[in-house]
Amino acid sequence: MLTDSSDINTPRRHVPTAPFETPISESRLIKWLLTGAALAFLGLILVLPLASVFTEAFRTGVTPFLSALAAPDALSAIRLTLIVAAISVPANLIFGLVASWAIAKFEFKGKSFLITLIDLPFSVSPVISGLVFILLFGSFGYFGPWLVAHHIQIVFALPGIVLATIFVTFPFVARQLIPLMEAQGTGDEEAALSLGASGFQTFWKVTLPNVKWALLYGVLLCNARAMGEFGAVSVVSGHIRGQTNTMPLHVEILYNEYNFVAAFAVAALLAFLALITLILKSLLEWRYGGELAASRRH
Amino acid sequence: MNWPRAAATEPHRDRDERRARQAPVRIDVEELGKSYGGFAALDNISLSVRPGELLALLGPSGSGKTTLLRAIAGLTSTEQGTIRFDGEDATSLSLRDRRVGFVFQQYALFRHMSVFENIAFGLRVRPRRERPRAGEIERRVKRLLELVQLQGLEDRYPSQISGGQKQRVALARALAIEPRVLLLDEPFGALDAKVRKELRRWLRELHTETGLTTIFVTHDQEEALELADRVVIMREGRIEQIDTPADLYREPATPYVCEFLGGVARFDVNAKNGEAEVLGGTFPLEQMDYSGPAIAYVRTHDIEIVGREAAEGVPALVRSARPFGPTITIELSIEGRRERIEAEVPRELYESGEVSLGHGVFVRATSAWIFPTG
Amino acid sequence: MNHAHVLSRLVPARMPSVLPGFGLTMGLTLTWLSLIILIPLAGVFIRTTGLGWDAFVTLATDPRTLAALRLSFSAALAAAAINTIFGFLVAWVLVRYDFPGRKIVDAAIDLPFALPTAVAGLALTAIYAPNGWIGALLDPFGIKIAYTSAGVVVALVFIGLPFVVRTVQPVLADFDKDLEEASATLGATRLQTVHRVLFPALMPPLLTGFALAFARGVGEYGSIIFIAGNIPYRSEIAPLLIVIRLEEYNYAAATAVAAVMLVLSFVLLLVINLLQGWNRRRTGFSD
Repeated sequence: MLTDSSDINTPRRHVPTAPFETPISESRLIKWLLTGAALAFLGLILVLPLASVFTEAFRTGVTPFLSALAAPDALSAIRLTLIVAAISVPANLIFGLVASWAIAKFEFKGKSFLITLIDLPFSVSPVISGLVFILLFGSFGYFGPWLVAHHIQIVFALPGIVLATIFVTFPFVARQLIPLMEAQGTGDEEAALSLGASGFQTFWKVTLPNVKWALLYGVLLCNARAMGEFGAVSVVSGHIRGQTNTMPLHVEILYNEYNFVAAFAVAALLAFLALITLILKSLLEWRYGGELAASRRH
Repeated sequence: MNWPRAAATEPHRDRDERRARQAPVRIDVEELGKSYGGFAALDNISLSVRPGELLALLGPSGSGKTTLLRAIAGLTSTEQGTIRFDGEDATSLSLRDRRVGFVFQQYALFRHMSVFENIAFGLRVRPRRERPRAGEIERRVKRLLELVQLQGLEDRYPSQISGGQKQRVALARALAIEPRVLLLDEPFGALDAKVRKELRRWLRELHTETGLTTIFVTHDQEEALELADRVVIMREGRIEQIDTPADLYREPATPYVCEFLGGVARFDVNAKNGEAEVLGGTFPLEQMDYSGPAIAYVRTHDIEIVGREAAEGVPALVRSARPFGPTITIELSIEGRRERIEAEVPRELYESGEVSLGHGVFVRATSAWIFPTG
Repeated sequence: MNHAHVLSRLVPARMPSVLPGFGLTMGLTLTWLSLIILIPLAGVFIRTTGLGWDAFVTLATDPRTLAALRLSFSAALAAAAINTIFGFLVAWVLVRYDFPGRKIVDAAIDLPFALPTAVAGLALTAIYAPNGWIGALLDPFGIKIAYTSAGVVVALVFIGLPFVVRTVQPVLADFDKDLEEASATLGATRLQTVHRVLFPALMPPLLTGFALAFARGVGEYGSIIFIAGNIPYRSEIAPLLIVIRLEEYNYAAATAVAAVMLVLSFVLLLVINLLQGWNRRRTGFSD
């Protein structure tokens, strides 16, 4: 579908699809070389690791793979991962919606500072993310003695893991929604209000449907990170087998015990989840790319 | 603008080049063809551009005018046909060797370079052998800035100058490489009306001064007719007519050209032996023995108001009048025809009451062009 | 809800708006932010200042700490540099050329974002270990990657790849072809056009991508501890040192290292941001 360049009504955009047969591109040979080099690099860096996970997981057959996953510790790790995700993702979803409403639909000073603050977890090392909660709630932390006195366990238990996960996945939803909602403006909401809708109704019936795909996209990324987070969770979890190990942590434990097949089995499950995430992500981008493009300019 | 003088001894090729540069170039397009998929952007185009001529390629979107321009420049490849510069086959020459100056609709100035650096670009990228020394480059750029009347702006950046100024920088940049031919792709399309008019006039003067063979593409017929020595009217990849603006206006060759130039009313008529009657007058066709269905075009000011009584002409009813200015444009409805036609009447006729709203008059055509249908 | 009213008065200079809910949502946002992010992060610095300057300096300049910091930062730098070069290549090929499966390759670039770091670490170790697919090829030449600092760099290249590619892609895709054509008509070779016209426009996103990859690499933990060897003073990264100190209940040392990391990263990012700003002004392009 090539457009005649004499059509002045079509804004000229560089459409990054098939190359145009113009004298302003590189020679065939160079194209081949560059493409080959790029693909070789990607093959080495991306494909090989992914392939090895599955290869090693099934090295001794399907049965050891399945029994590794069915082991009690593995099952509890899977369960814990799911619980943590089930708590953190909705929490950050709600936060994301609330924050983007406050930021995108109103004008005030200090907006970009606020957005920078929201982005902070991205620039902090995961280990430090976990460290901060140890400093607060660990036995020698600020609230440590108080917590011990009240028999409340935060670190080395589920609450700590959830908190650390919420911290690291904090920005995902908000980052998708804010640029999109800013681009969409307040026109629709003002129209709804003028027709008599309440604030909440407006939000539910007008704003939300407008951003649903970006929201889904943000949730997808948030979930992927929540399930796969290692550093922060590792610090706060205490690595108590069968109790405070998420799937990534369990992989480490199995690896340290030289139980490679089992380690790779759990890793393969995680890799499989990652592939699903990628596929869903791509689907969303291909179908709703326009809408998402506004939010991808971070 | 003086071309730099040749060195004392120069290689054959350079000397021939210099000679070619000094005289304006003739461009011959022979049976050029290009299609995208099944769609023919250029369909067997042949034309000759005279040395030093200012030629306009005029047509609507999709007519192939830009494709033709870009083919001559070497930006778009073609499947059939040849392009010659002074008889030399240019189709096989690379973009670099064609030495064509091209000006884009959206200026295409390099944003990270100053005005000076933009204009100097073509000189700086030359192979070491052909590259002028830095002092010489500076001299030429300054001279070009004077030519386009932008002295003093050499250190500004494109984001700091106006649209009209940007286009002049683009022109200076194209001229810096001493091109054989200057090609402009809708050069004023992105500017507002007032600037457009000024630059039009200025381009004409520039052309006179440089004497370069120049081709420009436009969809604005006023621009084409006002500026060009000759105009090429294009349609769907083919050439409808090439003529001077005056000849185009006087003798449009096809119905399409009539409609394109506008200001006409169209009638379906029947021709007998090379003649047809329209609006009370009889006019000849070019095909002197044609009989059959035909289309007639009558210009707005070729419609004469004969008067209230039926001396000659066709009855019509005055539907509306725009009474401003020395002549008044009135809309008439004629029996048997749904669309109204426009005619111009002198003010006195209107004011005297000869012609008035809601009343009938007789009209006739003083001139018309008739073409066989199909 | 008084809380929200007080907070909304604290936020100055807001233009009156038709839409409701600002007070509530802003209040919630600020509360959430403070609880989850600001207070915990502040905790690090309060803890650090509580140490006293001398104690802090001693901890921060401990040789093992310095070695760990040096490794983290230099490996991140090397990996970011590699990613800048190859990321540019990949972005170029994806945008400019077509080949079967291009869309799939394009989607695959995000794999490091989606894959848990532990899985990446495990897989990379398997490949580059002396008996792994690549490790076995290199071992006869005496080249060891796994369990050395080279392994750290490899892991960080994996982690940082999408940053450069994704920041360069949109700029390259949106690049006005007219400029390249103009350059060609003025007589520039293809190489000259790429060098003089395209590159200056791509410098800001390249720098941005470099900065993002670098920042990410400095703090990376999960993918490295599998492949690094983790030998103190040799192949131990700073985040690992923090974890070890925590396990020793040496909160002071842990916070000291964390504080140094945060400050250094902040300074470096500031420098790069300034660089970007300078570049943007010079070239007249905006991200």
